[in-house]
Amino acid sequence: MRPIPALLTLLVLLPGGGVTPASAQPSQDDGRWTMPGKNYASTRYSGLDQLTPANVQRLKPVWNFSTGVLRGHEGQPLVVNNTMYVVTPYPNVLYAFDLTQPDYPLKWKYRPNVDPAALGIACCDAINRGAFFADGKIIYNLLDGHTVAIDAASGREIWNVRIADLSDGETTPMAPLVVRDRVIVGPSGGEFGIYGWAKGLDLATGRLVWTARNAGPDSAMLVKAGVFKPPYETRANMGLSTWEKDTWKTAGAPVWGWLSYDAELDLVYYGVGNPGPWNPEQRAGDNKWSNSVLARRPGDGALVWAYQFTPHDNWDYDSNAEMILADLTVKGRPRKVLVHFDKNGFGYTIDRATGEVLVAEPFVSLNWARRIDLSTGRPVLDSSKFTGASRGNVKYICPSLEGGKSPVSAAAFSPRTSLFYVSTVNLCMDYQAEVKARIRGTPFIGANTPYVAGPGGHMGAFIAWDAAKGQKVWEIKERYPVWSGVVVTAGDVAFYGTLDGWLKAVNARTGQPLWKFKVGSGVVGAPITYRGPDGRQYVAVYAGIGGDWSLISGDLNADDPADVRDPADFIKDLARYTTQGGMVWIFAL
Amino acid sequence: MSTPAVCAALAVLALVACEAGEPAAGRDSVVVAAAVLAPPGDSLRNPYAGDQKSATEGGKLFGSMNCDGCHGGGAVGFVGPSLSDRRWRYGGSDGRIFESISRGRPKGMPAFGQLLSPEIIWKLVTYLQSLPVPKAVPTQAW
Repeated sequence: MRPIPALLTLLVLLPGGGVTPASAQPSQDDGRWTMPGKNYASTRYSGLDQLTPANVQRLKPVWNFSTGVLRGHEGQPLVVNNTMYVVTPYPNVLYAFDLTQPDYPLKWKYRPNVDPAALGIACCDAINRGAFFADGKIIYNLLDGHTVAIDAASGREIWNVRIADLSDGETTPMAPLVVRDRVIVGPSGGEFGIYGWAKGLDLATGRLVWTARNAGPDSAMLVKAGVFKPPYETRANMGLSTWEKDTWKTAGAPVWGWLSYDAELDLVYYGVGNPGPWNPEQRAGDNKWSNSVLARRPGDGALVWAYQFTPHDNWDYDSNAEMILADLTVKGRPRKVLVHFDKNGFGYTIDRATGEVLVAEPFVSLNWARRIDLSTGRPVLDSSKFTGASRGNVKYICPSLEGGKSPVSAAAFSPRTSLFYVSTVNLCMDYQAEVKARIRGTPFIGANTPYVAGPGGHMGAFIAWDAAKGQKVWEIKERYPVWSGVVVTAGDVAFYGTLDGWLKAVNARTGQPLWKFKVGSGVVGAPITYRGPDGRQYVAVYAGIGGDWSLISGDLNADDPADVRDPADFIKDLARYTTQGGMVWIFAL
Repeated sequence: MSTPAVCAALAVLALVACEAGEPAAGRDSVVVAAAVLAPPGDSLRNPYAGDQKSATEGGKLFGSMNCDGCHGGGAVGFVGPSLSDRRWRYGGSDGRIFESISRGRPKGMPAFGQLLSPEIIWKLVTYLQSLPVPKAVPTQAW
């Protein structure tokens, strides 16, 4: 374990410092990786420092395992007690590898019975975003609306509870967050007109303790008098009055991204996804609290504050991306902040105690808004980019609905460099909305949205971002959208992956490329690093393109002779470099 | 076995029509009947087969019933498979496509039989059968 006091001392001494990671309880041991974001602050920063810009060129693969599943391998493994835990996409097999033995043989595998009907309800490939280790259990979601707790030592199922309703369009690919004795989960289904929620389960039994809706009346949203204090405006039932008629009942507003937690404030933060359908004319109003960040108390789910990034979403700009917690000096004042890279293309630095927006600047090319008005928290819109069925085909909106950054690809924050490391997407779109009727259990979308590469022609970039100033510090352009998560280390090395199947290491201070290795399929998962039983630093990552790319690339699969497609116009040659895969890779010096 | 021979064999087993010159992608070999008898669904015939008006109506229904939400506009494939490539997981005969829509399929295709009348389902079938067969699918060259 890296001594935290020494780290803090170092930070104080750093020029331009004043940035410290928020509380990282209970994951201070950098030998392990116990939760998706590495720590409750979701920094994906590891104190391990054996790998450096001077030696990372010698990084080599030491092990590789086929999961047997060919779908988007999002998320990341866990490493606990010298065991690596891997959750596959549907059918959500859980593998436990023994890292103390040569060849890392399986200790056990858990093979749940998952309803294949979920394959037709999951909007965007049958992915899973990973597990959480707590109380000797591996907790994760099955795609078909169940949460399971598995004994980390034996693989025995401790509990298995139904949390979501497939027949109403809900699936559950997100990774749970565990705080004390509460397991917090949410559904996907923004493209199925679900009525979005978060739930708190009891860690010991899986029993449902609370359900908090993301729209609707205050009672359903767990808004309590005197507790809920949103930063810009307060009225009763904002989740109800900002929707046309009873459209809040099919709000969408899903919870499929990453959750964070601040122990001092006792607040859980999560992003809420898009409102449904994509034709905004069917749901006049702000549509609160879609496309928002919500801060709740984990114990009872009470809503403490909420902030909406994109009111009355016209562009499918979900806000499910991670909320990274850091203590940051903004405009000369130390602030406890939350940093969020929204699909809408703005990077937000927000006071995480109150929800007040401190900084909001574009981190990619965008044209749907001119800026964020910090006095109201609202975007200043460009009316020529409004969409709707009556507006026909609205051309060239940036970013595309893939987002300036995908919520899938969780960014990282290094307290050593004070920088955030972000996988970004440079695509624009046309948006032709149409009126849609909701048919329960079928998609509720209603827009045709072809993409084109954004300004510059490259479709992605890996960037370093100064969230105190709202400025890009450096950038590595990539041919394809960058869709992987990121890990950054105390050795000042950042790792990310590309859709054409490279795992890359770069100098976290300068952005200089240092090393790359072709992992066999596009990377949509998040690399991690850990200390092995032999004391060495390892890096692990999944290879296995998928998620949106299984839908929109056209031709990445090879396992179904009855499904052969032309490549997508905007990314015709991606299939030249990758097909579906499902591998776990481990690297070391 | 040559393509015409496959077609001839399938035509006996599964009552699949094989037009001369249809690409190999048009094969339909999803069900092998034990002994000789094909399952009953294969004997169903599309009453609107080849009718352009029905195909147009079916195309509108493809949008209004949210089929395009999974299979994409033009049925070219999205989260669900392409239905325009003349390749079929569960069979491409009139009756098989009808059954897929009416009863659903296990890997996520919802059952629409309680929602849509047989006439409407047949119009969807007619639409799918009217889509042009893509020429360049089997080989991709860069």
